[in-house]
Amino acid sequence: MTEHDRSPIATPLDRRTFLQGSALAGFAAFLAACGTDGTGGSPSAAASTEASAGASASPGELGGTVNFANWIGYIDVDDDNTTHPTLDKFTDETGVTVNYVEAVDDNETFFTRDLQGPLSQGLATQWDIFVVTDWMVARLARLGWLEKIDTANTPNFPTNLLDQYHGRSFDPDTNLAAPWQSGMTGIGFDKAQTGDLDSLEVFWDETYKGKLTYLTEMRDTVGLAAIKLGFKPEELTEDQFQQALTEVDNAVKAGLVRQLTGNSYVDVMASGDAIVAIAWSGDVSGLLVPDQTPEQDFQWALPKEGGMLWTDNMVMPKGVVNKAQAEAWINFYYEPVNAAAVEAWVNYVCPVKGAREVLVAEDPEIGDNPLIFPPDDYVARLHQFRSVTAEEEQAWSEDFSRVLGL
Amino acid sequence: MKRLRLSRASAPYFLLVPGLAWLVVFYVYPAIQMFLVSLWTGNITEGFRQTFNWSIYGESLSEYWPWILRSAEYGGLATLFAFVLGFPLAYTIAFKGGAYKNVLLFLVIAPFFTSFLLRTLSWKIILADSGIVLGPLKDAGFLPDDFRLLATPAAVVAGITYNFLPFMTLPLYVALEKIDFRLIEAARDLYAGPWRPGGAIVGGAVGGLLVAVVTAILGANPLIPGIAGAIVGGLIGTFLISEAFVRVVLPLSLPGIFAGSLLTFIPAVGDFINAELLGDPKSQMIGNVIQGRFLKVTDYPTAAALSFILMAAIIVGVLIYARLLGTEELTGGAT
Repeated sequence: MTEHDRSPIATPLDRRTFLQGSALAGFAAFLAACGTDGTGGSPSAAASTEASAGASASPGELGGTVNFANWIGYIDVDDDNTTHPTLDKFTDETGVTVNYVEAVDDNETFFTRDLQGPLSQGLATQWDIFVVTDWMVARLARLGWLEKIDTANTPNFPTNLLDQYHGRSFDPDTNLAAPWQSGMTGIGFDKAQTGDLDSLEVFWDETYKGKLTYLTEMRDTVGLAAIKLGFKPEELTEDQFQQALTEVDNAVKAGLVRQLTGNSYVDVMASGDAIVAIAWSGDVSGLLVPDQTPEQDFQWALPKEGGMLWTDNMVMPKGVVNKAQAEAWINFYYEPVNAAAVEAWVNYVCPVKGAREVLVAEDPEIGDNPLIFPPDDYVARLHQFRSVTAEEEQAWSEDFSRVLGL
Repeated sequence: MKRLRLSRASAPYFLLVPGLAWLVVFYVYPAIQMFLVSLWTGNITEGFRQTFNWSIYGESLSEYWPWILRSAEYGGLATLFAFVLGFPLAYTIAFKGGAYKNVLLFLVIAPFFTSFLLRTLSWKIILADSGIVLGPLKDAGFLPDDFRLLATPAAVVAGITYNFLPFMTLPLYVALEKIDFRLIEAARDLYAGPWRPGGAIVGGAVGGLLVAVVTAILGANPLIPGIAGAIVGGLIGTFLISEAFVRVVLPLSLPGIFAGSLLTFIPAVGDFINAELLGDPKSQMIGNVIQGRFLKVTDYPTAAALSFILMAAIIVGVLIYARLLGTEELTGGAT
């Protein structure tokens, strides 16, 4: 387990505020494939992808810089918490310097602050590549604000992209968005206080009045409420959305919910002020467990009724300045060894073919980690929030902001 | 000779140029832009168009007046608390500080050497449900187990009070420091003694009201604590407030009170950090709504309109306040 043990100081206050998923056809099948094969995979597959990696590393003298905006705590960090080994390796191989900034706090804020101004006037943004969630990719694609990835420059992408990510509704030709990580939304809890939890009912349980947090992310919080009511988030109607929203609103009005937060639920839990939270899968093992006191026992569970699934993607904005360098980075990440190195640190679900084999070869136990390799019974319970029209997006986010007290 | 005079006469106007230019570029121009944005219609995906949609002001106001009212309430309470805390502080530094004046003043502004966000975040640690403040009180049985300060209106008001306390204290200090102590001595020579009946009444009223308000926003029955507060306030008023203070010091410090309360109240009403970090969904302020409309809902027109409504509301409030306190006395007192 050494490679996913982290130094306790390597825990930023805010890992991410906004993670989401929308339509992603056949994703369950991919997770199923991940879950069933518990041992090593085929060494030959790993070997062949390594070979292709070697071939693609040939433009070693590319040079230049790439400006990369990502979420906090979303890439591997060395033990001193000072450098990112994977980025350093990329620089060594390609000569490209990475200006890596943890600039994405949540999708909407990043959109308004960094993208909307320049892109609406046809200007380049300060970023060459950045990571946002599916539904934001869909919005950017709708606006025509994304640059196509020239796949002739990226031998590894989409070649090494797991099949289930190909041809998603907002990216039919698989050349706009390169998936970075997928993850799940479920129950984060302090088992020492609550005992075992496995039901969504806990988020409406009077026992935890004032000790519960929900997420400010509409698709997570309303999505779970919809599952609780027996609706499918994939096919949510306007009426069902309103019912689910009312369910959330009632809990807030009754004072059950202490706060609706972004990623700072991690801090609220760490201080003991909340003992149950709507939580993202990688956060509990990655950010809470390393710092927990002897009296605390943080756990994450996928509710028996179901949980939410989402994917974050790397995209290039229209008019990207350092396109070749950004594409070189995508190509680099889609080498299984490199993706595996990131994966071992972040504890989310990896979209790169062959990364699983690399990880299991290094540490067979990692195959049992349900956060990285969700087993069948998880896959059966995971839902994706359906893609929404521009009008729905506006109206629903307005309705949800009422719940936030805004 | 004529030339020289001209330049002398116009010198003050030249001195205004840098400041004015700064304000025009960084305040007036964006404000006009923002005003135009408020009249847009549309949404983020289909684009916004300038339609001079004036009705948005009525709509925003009718929808969000409770938030504006709540912000005024929180901001007003925070200003009041900052005054109650800041006045004795400024008074002590000004009149009793002696050789330590500068050190004490430094301590007042010392929190500003850390980031606003960090200071407010540290409150979450201090006031945690079983943290160093509430933990021992709960263990000792003074507070029920489910009592909390964080994620309540009380925490929001307290956070604002704390963050803006120096804005209140410093103007008060400046006003008090300028008071000629011989005036107080003269008052005493003219038989200004303790202000017993007045002090008892004013102290009792203020003490009772403050404690009642605090317990009410904490969600408890304000009656008994209010009476206790009135008694304590009355005692303080009876024994500590002198006639010289009421007739000399307080009137002369009015400019400081005026400046301090405005410097505290105006930013406090628009504050959103405290409500976001220390509040719950039921204690969000108008600043949070504006921020949410800009960044989460991407409803720029409503956000812009609300900003202007807030600005107008504050200007009206300040004008009324200035009228009540008497601006002439202010300028007279300042010299």
